[in-house]
Amino acid sequence: MKILIIEDEKGLRESIEEYFTEDGNICETASDYQTAMTKVNLYRYDCILLDITLPGGNGINILKSLKENGHPDGVLIISAKNSLDDRLEGLNLGADDYLVKPFHLSELKARVSAIIRRKTFSGSNLLIFNEITIDLLAKEVKVDKTLVKLTRKEYALLLYFIANKGKVVSKNAIAEHLWGDGIDMANNFDFIYSHIKNIRKKLMEAGSNDYIQAAYGMGYKFTGQ
Amino acid sequence: MRLLAKYNRVNLVTTIIMILITGAIYYQAISWILTNQKDKDLAIEEQEVFDYVRSNHQLPQTFESNDQQITFAEAAPGSVKREFVNTMYFKKWDQDDVHEKHRHKNGEYESGRGLITSVTVGNKYYKILIVESKVETEDLIRLIFTITIGVILLLLLVLLVTNRLILNRLWQPFYKIMKELRLFSVADTRDIPKLKTSIDEFKELNQVVVEMASRAKHDYKDLKTFAENASHELLTPIAVINSKLDTLIQTENFSDRQSKLLNDLYSAVSRLNRLNQSLLLLVKIENRLLHEQKRINLHELVEEMIIQFEEIFQAKDLKLTYRLGDKEIYASSYLVEILLNNLISNAIRHNHNGGEVIINLTDQHLLIQNTGDQLPLPNEIFTRFHKSSGSEGSGLGLTISRQICENFGFSLNYYFKEGYHTFIVDFKEGHS
Repeated sequence: MKILIIEDEKGLRESIEEYFTEDGNICETASDYQTAMTKVNLYRYDCILLDITLPGGNGINILKSLKENGHPDGVLIISAKNSLDDRLEGLNLGADDYLVKPFHLSELKARVSAIIRRKTFSGSNLLIFNEITIDLLAKEVKVDKTLVKLTRKEYALLLYFIANKGKVVSKNAIAEHLWGDGIDMANNFDFIYSHIKNIRKKLMEAGSNDYIQAAYGMGYKFTGQ
Repeated sequence: MRLLAKYNRVNLVTTIIMILITGAIYYQAISWILTNQKDKDLAIEEQEVFDYVRSNHQLPQTFESNDQQITFAEAAPGSVKREFVNTMYFKKWDQDDVHEKHRHKNGEYESGRGLITSVTVGNKYYKILIVESKVETEDLIRLIFTITIGVILLLLLVLLVTNRLILNRLWQPFYKIMKELRLFSVADTRDIPKLKTSIDEFKELNQVVVEMASRAKHDYKDLKTFAENASHELLTPIAVINSKLDTLIQTENFSDRQSKLLNDLYSAVSRLNRLNQSLLLLVKIENRLLHEQKRINLHELVEEMIIQFEEIFQAKDLKLTYRLGDKEIYASSYLVEILLNNLISNAIRHNHNGGEVIINLTDQHLLIQNTGDQLPLPNEIFTRFHKSSGSEGSGLGLTISRQICENFGFSLNYYFKEGYHTFIVDFKEGHS
């Protein structure tokens, strides 16, 4: 995957770059409007992470330019402005998703994966990971040929893990992914544990390997090649 | 007391006192004038007697004329001092008047004016008493006085009525300004309108009020902008911390102590983030920036929320009872979700393990009850940053909830009854 990170905040840009690069992706970065515009016009990316407030110009214009030129790049807007108008404007202009700062890198990864999946698997809705096959339209999970019955949240969690495979995903990130960031139960993560336990049990009963590992009491990690 | 009432009261009291005083003076004046007139008549009569005595050297016959009696009495020479007196006049009944005849012997006394004087006929000294009836004069005085008082009273009445009408109308601009002030809210986008009035005082008042309102709004807006900007500026560093933490935990091999520290950091950042988001949200609600509204089936939304919170109910072993009627409201789904989220998560967070949560939705209200501490919560729960001890919340949840309710014309209230903390969203006050 080729990803362009347009973000003026150095710390955030580096974190995102590091998080995405480890997975064998190619990441490029742009820290201001001009650089971003040049790169967007010269190269094609699978996904562009676009910050709206940039030195030198408004990120929305980059999105407009992309769409005017008919470029198919996936665009995910990352913005500090959680205003509905901005969100609607971005999505109306053809952005694929909108993520509000601050976010967990695992959440960003999951969103980017979803965008790229939509772009590249056009037609096919199957996500295959070793013996696990996920039908994204029917929301069905199979291990080899055995159907695994997962609840809505377990399904969402499995997708989240696969998008972040090889990464430690913090419990906070999981909680926010499943319940939204309105959730205020930071000191009570027992329910996450029981979800994970259920997923592992169901997958392994269907004959899958045990991919999910607890990581130092901070989170979980989906391992596998 | 209304200004009009106060004014009328003062007005009435002073007018009555004035009328009493002027009435007395007026009465005295008329009396004095008319008595003077009488005295002149008496003096003419006296002159006639003197003339008669001078030409005839004898006393005139005492004769009865209408309302005039003259009596002579012998007196010691020089003992009589000429003076006018108020005295009684004996009125004899008319011989023909049958009606009055048997009522009294042969007459009655009425008030009169007399002149005591003296005359010397030959070497005899006589005291003369000329008495005239004052009844007619008094009648006249009474009549004049009554008419005058009547006119004054009528005038007063007309004045009171017109005062009432005119003052009521005159004060209309004032009442309008008052009404506007009562409706005024710094958070509101509506301005106080300019008032059309021809009265300078009210024009001035209106102008001052309009200026004050716009100044207050301006200051409030500045404050809000500051809060909003501050929160916005905080978002980026929080995002950096968050992403750095996410990166840090990828570096593997943590000791228990390190992972505990990292977990605490995560919690703190997450709390900081929620707090900041809440502040931003409050500013937005107050600015009415989230105005996309649509029909929302509350029944479905609450059900969804309950499913969302299912695991958390189970984790705390809470017994959930709910009865959901059908209710549609016209509101922003984003805000209503936040509202439900806040109320339900409060009901869970402030509950004890094995407690109870009751959710009840009817056409009139949404009721969320929970067990918990056996003490009612203080009234300040709706103020910003009020937190129960040991609460992990931002202290803004209920403030936001109430703001959301008010935004849609609902009311949010709390009461404690029979061991249940109850939050009630009342739809009645607003449009559904």
